[in-house]
Parts: sequence; structure tokens; C-alpha cells
Amino acid sequence: MTPEARSPAGSLRTGVAQAVLSEIALLLENLAATGQAGAIDLRSLPLTEADRAELEEHLGRGEVEARLAVVGASEVWETAYAGVWWIRHLGAEGEIASETIAVTRVPEILMTHPADVEAAAARLQELIMLRRESAIGEETGNG
Amino acid sequence: MAEEQTLGELLARYGISRRALLKYATYIASLMALPPAASTAMAEALAKARRQSVIWLSFQECTGCTESLTRSFNPTLENLIFNLISLDYHHTLQAASGTAAEAARLTAMKENAGKYLLVVDGSVSLAENGAYSTIAGITNLQMLKETAEGALAVISVGTCAAFGGIPHAKPNPTGAVPVSEVITDKPIINISGCPPIAEAMAGTLAYLIAFGKPPELDHLNRPKAFFGESIHDRCYRRPFYERGMFAKSFDDEGARQGWCLYELGCKGPVTYNACATLKWNGGVSFPIQSGHACLGCSEPNFWDKGGFYRPLSTATGTSGAWIGGAALAGAAVGAASAAMLRARKKSSTGEK
Ligand code: SF4
Repeated sequence: MTPEARSPAGSLRTGVAQAVLSEIALLLENLAATGQAGAIDLRSLPLTEADRAELEEHLGRGEVEARLAVVGASEVWETAYAGVWWIRHLGAEGEIASETIAVTRVPEILMTHPADVEAAAARLQELIMLRRESAIGEETGNG
Repeated sequence: MAEEQTLGELLARYGISRRALLKYATYIASLMALPPAASTAMAEALAKARRQSVIWLSFQECTGCTESLTRSFNPTLENLIFNLISLDYHHTLQAASGTAAEAARLTAMKENAGKYLLVVDGSVSLAENGAYSTIAGITNLQMLKETAEGALAVISVGTCAAFGGIPHAKPNPTGAVPVSEVITDKPIINISGCPPIAEAMAGTLAYLIAFGKPPELDHLNRPKAFFGESIHDRCYRRPFYERGMFAKSFDDEGARQGWCLYELGCKGPVTYNACATLKWNGGVSFPIQSGHACLGCSEPNFWDKGGFYRPLSTATGTSGAWIGGAALAGAAVGAASAAMLRARKKSSTGEK
């Protein structure tokens, strides 16, 4: 048996999941009423494995799931409650580096940053230029 | 060297997107228990910041601190910190050696005067005018003084730099002292631990770079985000402690059942660090989870506290809270620990 399995806390449902659900409900009502987003950092809470599983089970899966390849993997999904998103960032060894419940219409991590748009536009222009140059090169070579 | 470009521009050149920066900031904010909304502000601030020049000096140390920072970082999320800093001098990691290495330090000091961060691991020898430990013919004492002069702030990494650590242990033949006893006119942040937790070093650096000021510190100048709670506060064996269920030897039934290690000398109740939550080796485990009591390595004088395997109440003997060893019940132990905590707060100046 691993020390973790011996941990008295590992398989225990402590009731924290219930408390988190109530907080999510409040944030969701606020989002509906005012449009203001909110978030809960799950890592800051004393969640046991069982608590986390309970929360995940209650929230379920909704219409959107995304896998990100951003300095390692991330998993983002909208739960069965529209506007309640589960964001799980994984570290180098696949361990959970951070885990957040975001109550919002679109999580920020899914949106493209304006600076990235600008950089992408420049890169695409570069590609077009390069292709044009190589096409001219080929034409001259053929002619 | 410090660069004119912003970190956002620099990272874009390396193909690191703003989304990656946001993920990194989310990770750091979560490590430091900042509100989730802080991650956006941190990502934006990091993007606007300049790459931070860092000069790292290693004195009387074992290189464990550097190992901790570099070994635990695989080339993904956790090593992004190395893109945020310009490590201008680190005699273990840099390619240059000899005169070229010292020239790199002097150049960085000149070019970034008043702006560079000085990271120190290892204690400073004062005996015989510092002759016990020299680098390139310069004593640690002299190098610390001259390098600290133009530094923005000093980060003492590891218990040796922060509190004197093992070189400072009795009988301290080299007259080893912490950095804070030599440098008194600069802000000093202590990230203690033997070695310190990599995330505590990276988190503190990222916070400094993003917000241009140190995170909130405790009475020993350690970031509260990582040193705000004791090991005991967050120990998963705590329910056993509360019920008075203690392992009496490393191979008894209690030890096998994962009971509390208090009677085997655990210093968790008086040790402030994040081992119980962040753990080690990418979150795999920490000493108590691996079956060994906490040694208290992030606290001043941990080496001279009367024995790693003697229970706290008998080991320190300074709090007046001495209680009989064998018949400890959770409540009694709790009272003793509380008394020691009070004692700890009173002697909060550490080693001075
Ligand atoms: S005394 Fe040590 S093992 Fe026991 S609960 Fe406290 S930190 Fe954990």
C-alpha cells in the first residue's frame, strides 16, 4: 500500500465539494445577472481525491471540450452547467499544475491574445512573401 | 544582460505565446494562493516587464539549491522562469570560467547597476577575514559586499544563505553567518529550505519580475505564500495526531498504518514551508509521506535543535513545555506545540 493510499484523507468525502458547488452557484447567478465572471482555484482548497471526483461527477460534461498544447497539455471543458468551465493545466510529468473552475462565457485561456494575433499576421505575411519569392525563383529557373 | 525588448516581445520570438504566459501566470498564482483573477494581471505585467538580470553567487554551500531549481524543471511549464531572467553569472551553470566568468559578473554589475537581482546560496565565512572560502581569489565576504552594492534586492536561497544553515552549525569553525548579517542596507528575501522548494524560488522570482516588489513576507523575511503555514498545518497525517495515534518506531504497526511521526522526532509543528502541499519531485511525495519525520530544514538552527529523532517537546527544551515522552495524547501534544510556537514567535529574530 502506498503512503498516499494509507492517507486517512485520500478516500474521504469531506463535504468540501458541496461547499464548492454552492459557491459556483453564487458565481453563476452573478454571471447571469451582471455578466461578471468569477473563478475558484481548486488547488487552494483542501480537496481530497474523493472530493474532487465528487465535484467532477456533479458538474458533469457539457458541449465543449478542448485540449491545449501550451507549454505542456491542458484540458478545458464546459461542464453540464453552461458558463461553468473546468480548466486543468498539466505540468511536465502530467501532474496537475493548476486547476480552476471558471464561471464565464469563454475562458480566457481559450481566447487568442491580441499580441498573438498581431504576431501571427506578421508571420503569415512572411510566409506569403517567401512563397512568392520562391515561385518567382522557380519561374526564372524554368524560363 | 537586461534587454530593451519586453518579455512579451522576447517570448514571441521564441515562439512562446501569450496564452503560454497566461498558463504560467495561472500556475504561479495558484502556487502562491493569489486570487485566480490575479493571473491575468500577472500575465500582462510579465509581458510588459524586461528580462530580469540575475547574478547568482554560491558561497559555503553544497549546490543542492541549484540542483533543486534546475533538476526539477523539465522543458515545459515549470522551466518558463528561465526565459524570464537573464542569468548573467552563476559559476556552476555558466559556460565561461576563470577570468571570463568574473568579467561577466563585473559587466552585469556595471550594465545593470541598481537593477539586478542578487541571488545567494550558501553562508558567508567571517573567520580569518573570510579566508575559509574564496572564489577567483576573492573572499565570499568581499564578493558579497561588492556585488550587493548595486543590487536591487538580495534573495537568500536555501537555509545556509538565509540563516547560516549547516556551515553555521556548532562549532561553526569558519564563522559562517547568513547573508543578512553582512548586508543590512538592501531588501532581503529569504527562501529557506535544505534545499528550498523549486516552486518557491520560481514563484518568488516571477512575482518580483511581474509586480516589481517582493510578495508579502513573514517575520523571517520569507514569502508568506510558501512559508505561511506549518508542515503540521497541512500534514495528511494530522488526523492521527489529533487522535493521539503515534508511530513509536520506524517499523512498528503504527508506522505501517501511516500514523503521526511526532514521537519519532517530527519537527512539522514548528516548521514553516510548503512541502506538505507542493511536495517534491513534481508533486510525487515529501519526507513525511515517505515515512520520515520532518527535520525542520527551513528553520533557523535546525541542525542544532537537539536531535532529529527526539520528539519536539524533549528536543528543544527551551519552551518550558517539556512533557513526558511515552504517554502523549493528541491534546497534550497540541498544548506543548502551541507553547513552542509562542516561544518561536518570541525568538523570531532567528540567529541574531
Ligand atoms: S507531527 Fe509531523 S507527522 Fe504528525 S501530523 Fe504533525 S507534521 Fe504530520
